[in-house]
Amino acid sequence: MGRMPTTSDSRRVVVTGVGAVCGFGWGVEPLETGLRAGATALLPFSRFDHSRHRTHLAAQVPEPPSGVAASFPAWRRLTQADRFALFAAAEAVSQAGLAAPLGPAAGVFFGSSTGGMFETELFYRELARKGGRPRLSALASQPVSGPGDAVGRHLQVAGPVRTISSACSSATLALGAALDAIRAGEVEVAIAGGSDSLCQLTYAGFNSLRAVAEGPCRPFREGRDGMSIGEGAAVFVLEPLALALQRGALPLAELAGAGSCCDAHHMTAPDPAGEGAAAAVEAALADAGVAAGRVDFVNAHGTGTPLNDAAEWRALERVFGPRGRLLPLTATKGAVGHLLGSAGAIEALATLLCLRAGEVHPTPGDGPVDPALPLALVTGRPLPLRAEVAVSVNLAFGGSNAALVLSRFPAPADRAA
Amino acid sequence: MSEAQATPARIKRLIVSSLNLDGMRPEMIDDHAPLFGEGLGLDSVDALELVVALEKEFGIKIKSQEIGREVFSSVASLSQYIESRN
Repeated sequence: MGRMPTTSDSRRVVVTGVGAVCGFGWGVEPLETGLRAGATALLPFSRFDHSRHRTHLAAQVPEPPSGVAASFPAWRRLTQADRFALFAAAEAVSQAGLAAPLGPAAGVFFGSSTGGMFETELFYRELARKGGRPRLSALASQPVSGPGDAVGRHLQVAGPVRTISSACSSATLALGAALDAIRAGEVEVAIAGGSDSLCQLTYAGFNSLRAVAEGPCRPFREGRDGMSIGEGAAVFVLEPLALALQRGALPLAELAGAGSCCDAHHMTAPDPAGEGAAAAVEAALADAGVAAGRVDFVNAHGTGTPLNDAAEWRALERVFGPRGRLLPLTATKGAVGHLLGSAGAIEALATLLCLRAGEVHPTPGDGPVDPALPLALVTGRPLPLRAEVAVSVNLAFGGSNAALVLSRFPAPADRAA
Repeated sequence: MSEAQATPARIKRLIVSSLNLDGMRPEMIDDHAPLFGEGLGLDSVDALELVVALEKEFGIKIKSQEIGREVFSSVASLSQYIESRN
């Protein structure tokens, strides 16, 4: 780095609030508890009839705690994905000490892969039934922009409200877009994250590709046989460091950099050499002004498919060289499943929680690590690690690779100052 | 005609079933309570949904300019309007 960071550095962006909904429950607390315990939320599920599918597990979000429905207007009409997004956004904004209306200085940057698809499926099922009377409002938040729009409406955000849909890198790119918008001075507060719900389209689609494991996914394990699908949302409140400190907010971590690159290789398969994925991680590190040697751990995309994990390991080896074999690696998907368009947000949140807790969460999954992938997978129990810098990676269909760099706040240079 | 087949009772059942009003039973709706804003607290999306449901249930056509505050103000006014159309 050319110079030491200062708290007046206009490129520095901090996280001042986080929120989550996942298979472990509503709120960040059940997520953190589940991750530290090495538990998995991948269980038999009931959201829809999957008796005729190949597989029968998913990380379904449980019913919301009592009182949640009454605290959001028109909850009865919101899609599952909108509900997850709203709850997580409200939790994040509350932690940040902010409240609606957020007004024109705020923006929403959201990722989603299927938006209101689950409710759309219910609509067509009812429409196709003889004498059926589908509820028209089931289509009101059918678009993939539904969750981000719901968050913008609820928080009365009058700045830009944008949704990015690039399959499994959606929320990662959304967080990157939020970072850019803050640095460019376009917004002073960004509500950024993602939300997706279980639906037949993705469950059946990934099953048709034979990409879903029959048991809970086992990222980077020997004989791993596929991914597992989850649902939920994670939301970050991002602010310029200087403004956050000025208003007395407590930064939880720094979102130091973001990068993305396309494989330009195949519709679904990753480039086996991992070139695009490596380029995305390198771009994120360059954006953060952080050398690869300063990264303390990696939260991998780690879907548990044979191809993804092998290609991802090759990418990490490219970036980190021989040190890659010693670099603690975790994969949140073993715990909460693959949240698709929301994966990048919940995994960045898991990364932030690890930075703050001083430990890397274990990767649930049975069996030994794949001997063909000589990496330092954290398994069993949390690995105590006072990390300064971590990287979270997401690799999507279409070869859309994205990475984020998160760092502890205050950084060493801030502490010395 | 029995009470359950009377127009107000049919409208109430339709409101509850088509608007997904959790925890609400048809008999809890007062014939003269306002449907929108205060009272039942319905909104413009509910109004659209209700128009479609009423059209199917009663075999009538409601033109958009007829979706007036008066007709849709209560179960009683809706009932009166529907009976006048049949």
